[in-house]
Amino acid sequence: MIDRLSIAPRPDSVRSLLEWVRWALAQLGHPVHPHINFVLKLAAVGFGVAREAVRPATWRRTVRGEFHRALRQAVGGGLSATLVTAALIGLVMVSQALYWLGEAGQEELIGPVLVTVLVREVAPLLVGLILLGRSGVVVVSEIGELQIGGQVSALAAQGLDPFLLLVLPRACALAIACFTLGVMFVVAALLSGFVARSLLEAARISIWSFLDRVLLAMRAGDFVVFPAKMIVIGLLVALTASLTGLTATAQDEAAHLLPRAFVRGVVGILLASIALSLAV
Amino acid sequence: MDPDTPVLDIAAARPQVSADEARAREVDLRLMAGELALVDARHSAGPTWVADLCCGLLPLAAGSASFLGRDWSTVPQHYADALRGRIGRIFFAGSWVGFMDVATNILLPQLHHTRDDPSNLRERAIALSCAFGLPGLPLVRPGELAAGDLARAACVRAFLGEPMLVLLESPVQGRFNTLLPPLLNALAAARDRGAAAVWFTFSDLVWRDPSVPATMRLRLSERGLVPTTRAA
Repeated sequence: MIDRLSIAPRPDSVRSLLEWVRWALAQLGHPVHPHINFVLKLAAVGFGVAREAVRPATWRRTVRGEFHRALRQAVGGGLSATLVTAALIGLVMVSQALYWLGEAGQEELIGPVLVTVLVREVAPLLVGLILLGRSGVVVVSEIGELQIGGQVSALAAQGLDPFLLLVLPRACALAIACFTLGVMFVVAALLSGFVARSLLEAARISIWSFLDRVLLAMRAGDFVVFPAKMIVIGLLVALTASLTGLTATAQDEAAHLLPRAFVRGVVGILLASIALSLAV
Repeated sequence: MDPDTPVLDIAAARPQVSADEARAREVDLRLMAGELALVDARHSAGPTWVADLCCGLLPLAAGSASFLGRDWSTVPQHYADALRGRIGRIFFAGSWVGFMDVATNILLPQLHHTRDDPSNLRERAIALSCAFGLPGLPLVRPGELAAGDLARAACVRAFLGEPMLVLLESPVQGRFNTLLPPLLNALAAARDRGAAAVWFTFSDLVWRDPSVPATMRLRLSERGLVPTTRAA
């Protein structure tokens, strides 16, 4: 339609206005289009993972092998970083909460405060970032290298669906790894915070009483939002990294791919965290 | 399979989009069980697009391509993947997965497409490796293996699992004396089983070698695949 208009005779002023509008739309669309395209692809791949992951026929031994490898890498590679970060958060956040709420005589608020801040918000965010740094980068590096080197096409030529062999096992592994690391993070942060407070001054409550307060403060929604956040964040890290790798071109280098995947992953983690916090 | 059904039947096929050279070209290739087509690719940019066409990876603008009687354009995706599991291929660019060892790379298609016992697969792969001059199944990463051994490993991957079609993209690559005899033996065994083969070569030595038992000779040119003779 626009092409027909552009070749039809019209006064110069109308033509220049139309050309300006087209130019402005092109300027607007040029940077926006790739992002929308990526989001749509992400949604499609996410739907594909959800659909294929529940089919037993999907889990052939090669797919299972890749799943085990990715899970080992994600949990093993991220465990020490998760525990160290959790210990630091325990020292900074849990220990301080115990001290100041105790000073204010508001010890009954320890549970609700830690559940709202640590379990619902801080743990998913930090574990997601650790997973992105330790495993998402590995995923984008491995798949990007295969895509640029033509090995993805070679896998397809051998009847090995790259989605089934590369994307699906990594998505499932990172989702499970994120949940596992999230639980470890929360437990380690609570314990390290309590131990630190106990070492600095005589504890006013026992460890069992402290853990009991935290558990009692958990509402039904918290038992939904925490696992949901961890699984969705793990999936998003894997899918953004896999898609960034699979959409790499011959001109892309690791120096371009890794920052691109990192930014996409961070945005995904933040959006998922905010959306699920508001939803539940 | 019906003995009258061609293993590979490509009729007036023109790829829809691919490398620039492929657009204007047309491919006709019909291979019955036991046939070997030797393709002179010396005057082309590369044979990969023809091999991809044989594997049903390129959408066609015209013509048809079928393997074992099944048209690539009509079979479902999972069925097409299973069919590709019956094709053994040596890739021009190597195409090894860098984060897996060579042994896993070799076994991967068979582990994916079959339910054969892994130890049996491994034994067959070791026997083939020895036949191609390797001391065993290489357990190192592809980047750590010498180019000659990687070429031998590519042969092992292509012939493992008794493929019905073997696509060889320049398999010898300058290792004429050491690699040609075991390759010809493996090809003879495959053809005796009823497999067909397409051998793309850039080597004048291979093209003129009388020991290469080609049943048809073709040249990859600007017009596509053109029948020719050894002297051409």
